[in-house]
Parts: sequence; C-alpha cells; structure tokens
Amino acid sequence: MSEKIGNPREPRPALLDLAGDLNIHQVLDRNGLPNGDMPDPGLSNDEARMFYETMVLLRTIDERGWKLQRSGRIAFWIPLRGQEALQVGATHAMHSDDWIFRAHREMAPWLMRGGSLELMFAQFFGAAQEPQKGRRLPCLIGNRSLNIIQGPTQVGSFIPHACGVAWAAKLRGADIKVLGLFGDGATSRSEFHSAMNFAGIHQPPVVFICVNNSWAVSTPLDCQTAQANFAAKGDAYGVRNLRVDGNDPLAVYAVTKAARESLESEGPILIEAVTYRLGYHTSSDNPDLYRQEAEAALWAAWDPLQRMRGYLEHKGWWDDADEAALHQRCEDDIQAAINAASAMAIPGRSSQFEDVFAESTWMLDEQAERLLSEQSESAS
Amino acid sequence: MAKMNVLEALRAAMAWELEHDSDVVILGEDVGTAGGIFRTTQGLQNRFGPDRVIDTPMDESGIIAHAVGLALAGMKPIAEIQFSGFIHNAHEQIMFCAAKYRWMSGGEYTSPLVVRAPSFGGIMGGVWHSHSPESYYIHGGGIKIVAPSTPQDAYGLMLAAIRDPDPVLILEPVPLYRSLSGEVEDDGTATEIGPAETVRPGQDITAVTYGPLRHVLKEVADELAASGGADTEVIDLKTLIPWDVERLVESVNRTGRLVIIHEAPQTLGFGAELAAELQQRCFGYLQAPIDRVCAPDVPYSYRVGDDYYKPGAERIRAALNKIMEFAF
Repeated sequence: MSEKIGNPREPRPALLDLAGDLNIHQVLDRNGLPNGDMPDPGLSNDEARMFYETMVLLRTIDERGWKLQRSGRIAFWIPLRGQEALQVGATHAMHSDDWIFRAHREMAPWLMRGGSLELMFAQFFGAAQEPQKGRRLPCLIGNRSLNIIQGPTQVGSFIPHACGVAWAAKLRGADIKVLGLFGDGATSRSEFHSAMNFAGIHQPPVVFICVNNSWAVSTPLDCQTAQANFAAKGDAYGVRNLRVDGNDPLAVYAVTKAARESLESEGPILIEAVTYRLGYHTSSDNPDLYRQEAEAALWAAWDPLQRMRGYLEHKGWWDDADEAALHQRCEDDIQAAINAASAMAIPGRSSQFEDVFAESTWMLDEQAERLLSEQSESAS
Repeated sequence: MAKMNVLEALRAAMAWELEHDSDVVILGEDVGTAGGIFRTTQGLQNRFGPDRVIDTPMDESGIIAHAVGLALAGMKPIAEIQFSGFIHNAHEQIMFCAAKYRWMSGGEYTSPLVVRAPSFGGIMGGVWHSHSPESYYIHGGGIKIVAPSTPQDAYGLMLAAIRDPDPVLILEPVPLYRSLSGEVEDDGTATEIGPAETVRPGQDITAVTYGPLRHVLKEVADELAASGGADTEVIDLKTLIPWDVERLVESVNRTGRLVIIHEAPQTLGFGAELAAELQQRCFGYLQAPIDRVCAPDVPYSYRVGDDYYKPGAERIRAALNKIMEFAF
C-alpha cells in the first residue's frame, strides 16, 4: 500500500474575488474592462501595447526557461507565471535612473530598460560575459548599467539595502528613487521590520512593493502571519500603505506612479501587490504536495495577460493578427537568444577568485595558484 | 602630533574623515547625542550634525543592513556595534551581504562599510561585553579585519578602514580605550592594512598576538629576557585579514619557535590558521611544536573571566618557558 505523500490544502478563494471587501484597488475587472474603483491611468496606445507585449514576452521566457531546466541545459529555474502584471506596471512607473531591487521573479525591469534578451539568457547559462560572470543561479539577474540590483538570495535580506540606497539619495540630495520588491514570506524576516522601522524614521524616497503571491514555497499565508493584510504592517512603523490588484498592470502602474511622485511630500510607502504564483516555487518544487489544482484555477480566472489583452481589445488597439505576430516574435527572439547564449564561453577557473576584494590578497593568490596547478581546465 | 588615548585617537580619525569626505557618516545605537556608550563619538554630532552622526534604532542587523544600502549608493558609512558580543544578529548582513556584493554582482556593486566592534576582555563585562568575534567573520572572504592596540594604530587603521574599497571589521580594544595614551601623528595619514609590527625584536622565540594582549606579551617578554630567560620576538599582527605572512615566516625561520596568543577560544581560533600555515612554510626551521595560548572553549565568565579565561602574563610566561624546554 502506498503511503499518501503531502497534504494539499483545500482551495481558498482567490483574494481578487474579494477585492472590494479587502480594499484591494483595481482599474480593470477580471475581463480587462476599466470598471475598478480607480480611474484608468490613460496609457497611450503604444504604452499599453508595450505593457502587453512585455507580459507575453515574460511568460514566453518563463516557458522556455522551464524547458531549458527540465531538459538539463540549465541548472535551475524560478517561474514567474501569473506575476507579469505587477512587474511591468511598477517598472514603468519608475524612472530609468531609479534603482530597482528585484526579488526573484522580476524580469520586466531588465527588458523594459533596454537589457538584451541575449545577455539575459547568458545569465541563465552562466556565461562569462554576463554582468555577474555566471556566479548567481539562473533568474537571479542584476545589471548595473540598468540600475537593477540582485540582492543576496535569502529573501528579504536586501529590503534594508533598498531603504539605505534611498536614504543615501536623500542625504546627498540626489534625485534618485528606489523600488524595493520582495515577497509575502519576506515580511516574516527581521530585515523587513528593520527596513520599515528605519523608513518610518528617516523618510527615504523608497517604494516598497510586497508581492503577495499567496505562497512562500509551501507555506500559505495563514502559516506565515496572523495579519495577512501585508500593507497594514506599514501602520506599525508609520509607513503609509495600500493594497493593489497585482494582476492589474494599470492599477499597479497608477499607484506606483502616484507613490513615486509623492515620496518627498508624503514619505516612503508600502504597496501590497496581490497576485498568485501560478507556477512552481522553483524547478526544485512540487506544489502537488501542498496545494490543489483547483486553487490555481480560481486565480487563472484573473490571469493578467487575459485582462491586459481584454483592455487592449476594448480600446480597439489589438486583434488576432497582432496576437499571432507577437507570439511568433517572442519565440523567434528567444530562440535567437538561446542560440547565442548557449554558445558563449563559461567563466574560467580563476574567475571565482576575482571581485572578492578590490585587489586580491596573497591568501587568495596562493589558493588560486595551487588550485590551478592541481586541476586541469577540463576537470569536472 | 598630539597626546591621545585610544578612544580619542579613534574619534580623531573619524572626525578627520567626516571633515574631509562628505560621504562619510556614522550610525549606531546612542552614537549621536550621547556620543556612544563609551563616548567614542562624543561631540561629533554637535560638530557635524544629525545627518552625519546618526542615532539608530536598537537593531544591529538593521544598522549594518542600512549601512550596506548607504555604501551601495557610494557613501562611506561607519557602523558602530555597541559591543562585539551583540554583533552576531548582523552576521548575515556582514558576511553574506556586505562581504559578498562585490563578488556576487561581478564587481558591479560594492558595499565598503566600516563595522566598529568594541571587543576583548578586561572590564569584568561577562560574555557579551568581553567578546573576540574574529573567527566568525573570516570564513568565505570579502571582508578585512583589523585589530589596533595603540593610539597611533587606532588612528591610522580607522582612517585606512574608512578609505578602503572593501568592508572592514575593526576590533577595538575596549580595555585600552582610556587606559593607554600616546603621541599620535594626527595629520590624516592612514596606517596600511596588512603589515604586522615587530614590537620587540628577539632571537629565541617568535610570539605573535593582536589586540590588548600585545602589551601583556611585551611586558612578559621584557621581564623574561631581563631575568636571563628567553629572548622573545613580539609581533603584533594588527591585521588579521590579510595577515602579514612574510614578517611571520622571516621571524619564525630565524627563531625556530612560535607561540601564538589570542583571547578568542582555542578551537578554530585565528591561531589555528597561523599554526597551519606557518608549520607548512617553516617546517624545516622549527625546533619545537608550535604552541597556542588561547581562551578555553567555554563562555567568558563575569567574575573569573578577566583573570582565568583570557590569557594573562602567567600563562604566556609558562608557554614561553615551556617551548624553550622542548627537545627532539
């Protein structure tokens, strides 16, 4: 007799079904029509199309990346499916010289700030020429030229770093704002509370976005906190806050833009973007152990891509031919990026000794010399 | 040139950099209006303002984490941990954030902060106020560690730490803060991070230490030589990472005997690393096994710690005599 493995939870209602009751702000309804409590921010045709095109590209990257991992070509993958809207909306609301501290699922800042797909895939393959020199796991992307910073891997540890960079801007009188993204699980870490506390006291120009995607690996919200209104945690620290539909790119854009513009007059802000992780936590996860398909299905009804497409069609800015062309373009561009990135050289053995210090030490030099003398280049 | 105690020398160095570099800020618990619980930063907030000398919440991890953010943006924060016994809730921020940003970003982002850690025993402070944290902050690279134990080194190494492009942990000698004074060349010249100092030349034994024990060791060595005992060469390491291997190798090859003395517990203390490296480099010259005089692997007791936990003159003298008695 086989033993039952795991204990999947009964599905809970999608929080967005209760958006009005939970004070979760929206522009779009589930079909993408502007029937929410917030006014349509009035993106241009080009901007609105760019939103949707980026979201589709993100999802296609996720699908191809997943396959690269499952086929053994890359070691790891962090799915972003379902979380496309908030990252597009938030990135567009910030200026290009604002710093963005990404959590683990935000690829939009890279794409929207002009980073190349080729270099992004180079990161997934750990190529020597990607900015981080193949040192971080796939999907943990950072790029100084785009003002995107990938913090340490432990979630939430970098929330105060975002706060500190913003604080520095304030102390130096620099016109730079900071966007700090992190997940619901990260709010349990002391660094979240440190950052809110310092932010409340020193009023740095930082927009914190808590990406509440309902699950922290297998830990549901009610095991994470007795106060699952994550925005409200800002109240304890005197940090203004609000909840927004994280699957509504226009709503996230509108609240983030308003937040950015009022940082000087009203101080830092904690925005909770309510979304759902439709995919696995990572390629090492198995959601069947802890959640039922039916729950993801409730959230699929709020799929951000469908809603943004619905909005474009409502505006008369999109048709089936556009859709087909977009998908083809995404596939082609990604294939070209994979072809280029997978052919790139990986870092040499000695590269791990670089950048530990500004200048190497005798200690590192001797360790490197010995390691290089004892291993051949082809050692595995 | 001015006469200063260690605490005044640290303050003078911080004041120099606050005055000459607008990116330098000090942050920590009670560092502003009170000037720190030891008064190390006394007067600096009045002189430079509350945006340069910043009182923080009681949150060591948060102090370091926010200093990391300030440093990422190009500022030069000096973060004070009130006592090094309180430093460990900031361990992740020091070792996996500050010490890793340069490497993990491929050299694109750096966070060169200074962590001030009042350390070492001798004030009847018990375990949290008498701590030697160095071993916890060595593994894995990315941070330098210095331990000044004279007013001049306190001044010069503090300046060097602030100006260094990498994070630096400075172990400040609490028991010497006010008890040790000396003339300090206070013209803004830094002391290079790395070189050790030969405090007393000798021919028979190399004895190496760092922190306040430098002075105890020097006194023991002088007494021993004066009473017809061994002629001990005393070396103050001053920098732990990266330590001065050349000076040590030259000395040990000459004397043939090495005794390592430190206040931190013995197992995996810095002495273990020194012993391992120096036995490999100096094996053919050694006339006796390398010995260590360290604290035991137990916590630092309030009542008996100062006398019976951290190595004192008696244990150091015994070790120096013993190593001379060894015969193959």
